[in-house]
Amino acid sequence: MATTKKYWKGIEELQNDAAVQELAKNEFPEEVATADFLGDEKVSDTKTTRRDFLKFMGFSTAAATLAACETPVQKVIPYVVKPEEVTPGVANYYATTYSDGEDFASVLVKTREGRPIKIETNNDAPMNGAMTSRVQASVLNLYDTARSKAPMKDGAEITWATVDADIKKAIADAEAAGKKVIFLTNSITSPSINAVGAEFMTMHPGASHVSYDAVSYSGILDAHSEVFGKRALPSYHFDKAEVVVGVGADFLGEHLNFGNSRDYIKMRDPRHGKMSRHWQFESNMSITGANADKRVMVKPSEQGKVILSLYNALAAKNGNPAVGSTKTAYDADVNAVANKLWAARGKSLVVAGSNDADVQKVTIAINQILGNYGATLDIDRANKTKQGNDAEVATLLADMKAGQVGVLVMMGVNPVYSHAMGAEFAEAMKKVDTTAVMDDRMTETAISANYLLPTNHYLESWDDAMPVEGYYTLAQPTIQKLYDTRSPLENMLAWTGKGAAYDFIKNHWGQNILVAGAGSWNRAVHDGFYVQPQSAGENTESKEAPVLVDVSGAARAIAQQKGSDLELELYTKSGLGSGASANNPWLQEFPDPITRTSWDNYLTVSRTDVEAMGLVNENTSNGALNGSLVNVTVNGTTVENVPVMIQPGQAPGSVGLALGYGRTAAGIVGNGVGVNAFPLYLNGSTTQTGVTIEKVDGMHEFACIQLAHTMMGRHIVKETTLEEFIANPSAGNDEPTFETHEGVKPASEVNLWEEFDKTTGHWWNLSIDLNNCIGCGACVVACQAENNVPVVGKDEIRRSRDMHWLRIDRYYSSEMTKDRAEEEGLGAIEMYAAMEDPADAPEVVFQPVMCQHCNHAPCETVCPVGATAHSSEGLNHMAYNRCIGTRYCANNCPYKVRRFNWFNYPTYSKFNDVNPAQDEWGKMVLNPDVTVRARGVMEKCTMCLQRIQLGKLEAKREGRPVADGDFTVACAGACDTGAITFGDVNDPESRVHKIREEPRRYYLLEEIGTKPSVFYQTKVRNKA
Amino acid sequence: MKNALLPRFGAVFALLILTAFTLISSTTMAQDSTATGAEGGDPAVGEKLWKANCAACHKVDAKLIGPALGQVTEKYDEEWLIAWIRNNQELRESGDAQALAIYEEYNGLAMSAYPQFSDDDIRGLLAYIDQEYAAKQAPAVADTGGGAGAAGSGQGSGPMDLTPVLIGLVVFLIIIVFILVRIKNLLLVMKGVEPRSAIDQFFDLRVYVERFFANKKLVGFAAVIVLIFVFNGLWGFLKGIGVDQNYQPTQPIAFSHEIHAGQNEVDCNYCHSSARHSKSAGVPSANVCMNCHMYVAEGQSEQGTKEIEKIYAAIGWDKNTRTYIEDYEEKPIEWVRIHNLPDLAYFNHSQHVVAGQVECQTCHGPIEEMKEVYQYSELTMGWCINCHRETEVKMEDNPYYDKLHEQLAEEYKGEKITVDKIGGLECGKCHY
Repeated sequence: MATTKKYWKGIEELQNDAAVQELAKNEFPEEVATADFLGDEKVSDTKTTRRDFLKFMGFSTAAATLAACETPVQKVIPYVVKPEEVTPGVANYYATTYSDGEDFASVLVKTREGRPIKIETNNDAPMNGAMTSRVQASVLNLYDTARSKAPMKDGAEITWATVDADIKKAIADAEAAGKKVIFLTNSITSPSINAVGAEFMTMHPGASHVSYDAVSYSGILDAHSEVFGKRALPSYHFDKAEVVVGVGADFLGEHLNFGNSRDYIKMRDPRHGKMSRHWQFESNMSITGANADKRVMVKPSEQGKVILSLYNALAAKNGNPAVGSTKTAYDADVNAVANKLWAARGKSLVVAGSNDADVQKVTIAINQILGNYGATLDIDRANKTKQGNDAEVATLLADMKAGQVGVLVMMGVNPVYSHAMGAEFAEAMKKVDTTAVMDDRMTETAISANYLLPTNHYLESWDDAMPVEGYYTLAQPTIQKLYDTRSPLENMLAWTGKGAAYDFIKNHWGQNILVAGAGSWNRAVHDGFYVQPQSAGENTESKEAPVLVDVSGAARAIAQQKGSDLELELYTKSGLGSGASANNPWLQEFPDPITRTSWDNYLTVSRTDVEAMGLVNENTSNGALNGSLVNVTVNGTTVENVPVMIQPGQAPGSVGLALGYGRTAAGIVGNGVGVNAFPLYLNGSTTQTGVTIEKVDGMHEFACIQLAHTMMGRHIVKETTLEEFIANPSAGNDEPTFETHEGVKPASEVNLWEEFDKTTGHWWNLSIDLNNCIGCGACVVACQAENNVPVVGKDEIRRSRDMHWLRIDRYYSSEMTKDRAEEEGLGAIEMYAAMEDPADAPEVVFQPVMCQHCNHAPCETVCPVGATAHSSEGLNHMAYNRCIGTRYCANNCPYKVRRFNWFNYPTYSKFNDVNPAQDEWGKMVLNPDVTVRARGVMEKCTMCLQRIQLGKLEAKREGRPVADGDFTVACAGACDTGAITFGDVNDPESRVHKIREEPRRYYLLEEIGTKPSVFYQTKVRNKA
Repeated sequence: MKNALLPRFGAVFALLILTAFTLISSTTMAQDSTATGAEGGDPAVGEKLWKANCAACHKVDAKLIGPALGQVTEKYDEEWLIAWIRNNQELRESGDAQALAIYEEYNGLAMSAYPQFSDDDIRGLLAYIDQEYAAKQAPAVADTGGGAGAAGSGQGSGPMDLTPVLIGLVVFLIIIVFILVRIKNLLLVMKGVEPRSAIDQFFDLRVYVERFFANKKLVGFAAVIVLIFVFNGLWGFLKGIGVDQNYQPTQPIAFSHEIHAGQNEVDCNYCHSSARHSKSAGVPSANVCMNCHMYVAEGQSEQGTKEIEKIYAAIGWDKNTRTYIEDYEEKPIEWVRIHNLPDLAYFNHSQHVVAGQVECQTCHGPIEEMKEVYQYSELTMGWCINCHRETEVKMEDNPYYDKLHEQLAEEYKGEKITVDKIGGLECGKCHY
């Protein structure tokens, strides 16, 4: 099998432009203009003469000398009454819940001196949810200065007492006038809000509740409602699925990912001798597709037909009649899939991403045939995280237009921005007598509303959630409210007169949730979750032979669906999602895992389509990427000036566009970043046909991190297949060799340097299992939060001055190999040209790269001032205060992991809008144990030295050896899939020690003899 | 003849120095003796008992938790007092009217029983109370006339500053030498000898200057020496920039470590409790102060009492009703920070106090003698490093080090295993 595939980082590298070649030689491509560097744009406009300048200089030198003689007086102000649990300098952790209608996660919040500074996974929780980059970044939203600070009525500040009186009066008036009172909310999983909501409904029988999700799951909910009589999502159990088929469903990324990746990866461990087999049919290149064993490109309109075709193939095996007659171009793949699925009945899972109820109904039927309900799918303990109902929202809009709605209270939703009919919705709001929005800022919808009722951040509130039936979680405040805000629960309690949130939740839990004798409130607060014991009667229904749902009607509907030449698939990015956190600079700067582009959304187009339409992607002299601009029109609705990006693996005839961008009222960071694609999100469907695109003048400037760190042409990602791995566990992991005077020797035995001895004390190592890394990037944001990594903004990223200490390189593969070239008798030039020939369906690998902590570090030998030095524990230390900024180390680093502070990011005006460390609130998120670096110094991954030091100290204080797993690094802690393992290899009991002995272990660029403390594990794909 | 004068010079010197020292030492000794109490009890016995058993709830001249006991021997007869102190509950149960009245007055707050006290013990206690009360009253009476005296005695206990005395002495001696030289010259003149003597020649600088400049090598050598001194001085000055050794700012509360840590021997960790758990030793919050100062409302001097009242002002404690004031707006105490490492250096107290078993005084100096805290150590990197080079790692009885100790003992056979040998000089151990 092919093991010497050629990987390339992007289409530009593939085409091998002259600019790219130039760039490959030059890590810091552009000189900084002096004026830029000095940081004063106005220097050239001033009338200061040289003579004046010298006078000022002389004066200021003298003044500085005088001023330096006296140390400024610093105050140290202790608590007057110290809270018992707070010790200054020691972090406290609280278990709480992140649940915003979009994501769900059981988390631990790290607080220092009462300030939440970091989100960690709550590993004790049986259902952690997904620790996505959004969850990691959510702590920064707390300190967002764009948050509203007091309730507003028509733009003027009012008090909560006025709000309560006004709302109550408005409701009374509406009831008197016979008009409707509507609560439009996101998916509410909180049992307490539901309880108080029910109370409200009994008090006001005319009131009703409509659920609305920005990204709709109405289709799958409706299908389950029809089949199972229960409007809920099934809980996925990927940890039991041996064959996984995804059709347009990014279940490892954005599609109902409440821990899918964590479960999925449990079946992907080659050490067990078997792995799950994963097919993905999709049009956009998603994280899930990138991880699939086999990815089939399918146009959006064909996805329903693939599902139908799969149903028919399985129905034939099961003895059910075929419905409709669908022949697709993918039947070969579909039949292969059907065989595998049939062989793995009850241990397989078919997931469709479509929001079409018909497609979902057929998907249910497929899983029923396979006996997956009750095995890999659980509808008894159903997932309640999505409840939106598109039909009800449409009715609401009609009612509003007809003037039948008296009061509209919105909770955590922003339909003016996120609904396809947003503009119409804003118009219709004018016909409602009273509109109120509960949100954390003056959103697009809040601007059009009468009242803005600012909400707490989740870290300021008592709250609860039931993401899955029978599984309850609690959210507790970890800081006093920063502003005069109220949570939705507090509002509802105020309007029903039910007292304080804490008391209400505690009572509600005591009476309805905690089972007598088996659950304690204090325990639940401590743990952050409570699992109701499954009653005996539960989970019987689905174990009976399922009544196969009749899909003939659905089949007819699917068969009638017409495709078009160009189709659009809308998606959400793993950074920004549906755009609620658009003002979070960490998420904006977080590069998309696939395109490696930050601060943008764009139209992803296949190479063939780009060429056919005369669109271009080109690199400027500094390597930055520019792309053509187009107008995208669907069904008469046009989104203008959308930049085009060539996306390998994009199904020809389809284009992709991310939702969640183009906010106008998110705040200073998020406003105007990208284009708003929601107007194209017609009928709540992510797939749209009849798309036309029209090229417009101008080029768009992208901020990509893709060419900044070239490692091309070398075996940096090692890969094999399960088959080969079983035959030979070190398959694909050939150690590089050298010809020496003593014969051929492996690289590990050839050494320019003196051998080192690392057997005394600790030797901290990091293992990165490429087989477990799905590329989600939560670790990147976790690292940023832990290590005070600055945000530098689009312009700097475009100049390749990104500051992330940890990057996840993404490589596309090409089918041409050296073996094949030999077979076909190709010469070297032809072979390399062919290697760079774009593959229609590239395989994708992700590789997290941070400082490798080389024990023979190239950076250390070139530092003229000894600012970077090696430790006895195998770490490469960086002393910022010693660094003079020669950048020799970065130039000599073969892994390109060193980051230079080109500017004073915490103070320079250019970064006012993006760097959270710049304002008084944003500063509070900084980790006080990590230095904030100044201009002119180099920085890089420290392997979370602050955590290592603390972990050792705790062991010393308690008088015990460091135990494996006592502490870990930020990236490893954030990784849901266990791709990163940290530990002391000198401890024979440690996991990292054991992994290091495995045959899959290899070192990045081992042939250069750097002897890193970070090592990788070969990626294994199941091609059987 | 002229040589005979010299020993006399010496004698004058010796005499003067001796006189001066005698004078200095005699001023520092001044003591007063204490009188003993009467009325059959030994107040010395009473004092011990008072401090161990009574002082937590009683004062002689003011109400604390229990009543002021100043004139208790006048109000009640001794027999009753003995019965009350030994077991007031028994007394109350016997239906004693006086006992019940006190019990009622203090809202049923019972006093502890002391059956272990003998009659003599209690008599001693009462004698001590009387003596203390008398002592408290006396200064109040004397205060009108003797305020200055009291202040004077308050300051007399500190160490005397000898500098002015020494300077005076030096000036005095120079004058003596000058006079003696003049006398000698006068004697010579009287003998008709030319006054310009060997001594005058000895003091004639011109000769030396001429000789010095005649020798080029010597000039060069001297220039080098001078330059070395100049640069050394300059280097020392530059090194001192930003080093705040001996920094002793005035604090918002004149808190004396000498009284707390020195005289009263309060453990450092009692107030700076986080030193064992955290990177910062922590300035105690006002509620920690209140643990003691709820009862200790008076300082050793009037000024001390005022300082204690500053805690009450911060936290909102009403000294008279002995309750916290409700809805009081707390006023945090803004201490001036003395020890301040730059942000780029990470220092952890618990590392040094618990793992390293370093005494507080090693870095903070004789803190128990400081009336006002000053920065004792340089707190420079050189100072840190030096200590890391010299200090042995406390590996005994700490299982963390077991394996490491074995390995290092072999590596450094017999040598002391100091902090630098386990990586204590590496950049990243303090800078991250």
